Amino acid sequence: MAQIEQSDKGKKKKGAQKKMSIHVDFTPMVDMNMLLITFFMLCTTMIKSQTLQITLPTNEKVEQQDMNKAKESEAITLIVTTERNEKGDIRRDDNGNPLNIVYYYEGQPQLVDDNNDGVPESSNIQQEKFLGNEGTVQRGIRKILHDRNKQVLAKIDDLKVKWRAKEFSPKSEINDSIYQAKAKEVRNDSTLTRPVVIIKATPEASWESLIGALDEMQINQISRYQIDNINGTDSLMIQTYLQTH
Amino acid sequence: MGKVKIKRKSTLIDMTAMSDVTVLLLTFFMLTSTFLQKEPVTVITPSSVSEVKVPTANLAQILISPEGKVFISVTGEADPTVADGEWGTEPIRKEILRKAVAEYNRLHPNKKVELTEKDLDTFSKLNMFGVPFQALPAFLRMSQTEQDKVISDMSRADVGIPVDDNKDLERPNEFQIWMRAIYSSGNDNLQSTMKKGEGIAVKADHNTPYSTVQNVLDNLQTLKMNRFSLMTALKTEQD
Repeated sequence: MAQIEQSDKGKKKKGAQKKMSIHVDFTPMVDMNMLLITFFMLCTTMIKSQTLQITLPTNEKVEQQDMNKAKESEAITLIVTTERNEKGDIRRDDNGNPLNIVYYYEGQPQLVDDNNDGVPESSNIQQEKFLGNEGTVQRGIRKILHDRNKQVLAKIDDLKVKWRAKEFSPKSEINDSIYQAKAKEVRNDSTLTRPVVIIKATPEASWESLIGALDEMQINQISRYQIDNINGTDSLMIQTYLQTH
Repeated sequence: MGKVKIKRKSTLIDMTAMSDVTVLLLTFFMLTSTFLQKEPVTVITPSSVSEVKVPTANLAQILISPEGKVFISVTGEADPTVADGEWGTEPIRKEILRKAVAEYNRLHPNKKVELTEKDLDTFSKLNMFGVPFQALPAFLRMSQTEQDKVISDMSRADVGIPVDDNKDLERPNEFQIWMRAIYSSGNDNLQSTMKKGEGIAVKADHNTPYSTVQNVLDNLQTLKMNRFSLMTALKTEQD
């Protein structure tokens, strides 16, 4: 391939040019290309970062009657935290996963103090973990949120089936956009029972655990959630939980 | 006895095909690559299922190191021909620095920061900045290697934009001065992406305690920049 052969067919004549072949050695070229490829491979980012969009409430004081109070039966409060050792490093379980814990309670916080000594004995707080799915079965906090948002999720699943079959439109972009619009409609459908999730994080909670909680909102198609600051009652409830368990 | 004739074979391997392949690969990498931006600290972002991509243009990125130091990076218009190249990355950075320093000098008349045109040029070529205003002139007059050394040394007190839990916008802290300068830099497209929340991206390491990040989020809230995006990596898990 990398040679040019000059051959004269026919009989050799006296004084005819000698048969010669010119080889071009491509090895240095390959060497150089490999170096360049290595350079580009090391200097590029193939995976583009994704973003999670959130909206925080405004800081301005809102009039009490203007406040959009969440219905008690719909509210669920998540408090994420991460176990850390004395040095502030994250403690990990046997599989090397960080120990991210979610405490949650439904409705209003309830602290029971039967003997009136100021130290509550029990509360309606419960503990869960980020476990994700096992096959198609939800586990951990995802199951709790999934169960509370069943009506919406069932409708979205129907839409997904239609979307996969390209029922909205044979063109995939139009199909996608119709699906997105319909899914949004379902997520915001006030006739369905949908939870209102309040996400709180303790100061030592890792950033990953908070993102994990926000991510569960996306996975469970929950449209109403907010990030709030942790207050004294919440810390007291966690303390009570840790003492009684 | 028949003598076995060993034919002499040439050991030359034809490299042409190999060369073809490498050139193809090279072309692919050259066309698809976006260069890694230099950042003072490498953070591993947590993962999420969100599939919204980070915009490449008109973006203010806030990087929070695990120690709580804050750095900002601004990218302008991707197409420099928009508005006669006025709001490309470098011009917008210069404009932001001008605005921010003017605001700082107005608020601190006793500790004015003076910058030369050359300093502005150096600043516009920095991908990420994060030093207090007082240390800025000295920092910009360093050589590039020194700058890199200083900015990636997290133990130094003069690295990272000072952020406190100031709620009074009449006396903003340095982070608030910077964010306001970015918002009011004069580029309408940047302003509108920031309003929509796509233009502000917060990037933090997955192990960073929430209290560290919360400080920055509170500041953004004070600035009425309630909508923003959080940088995450893609989770491969099925939902």
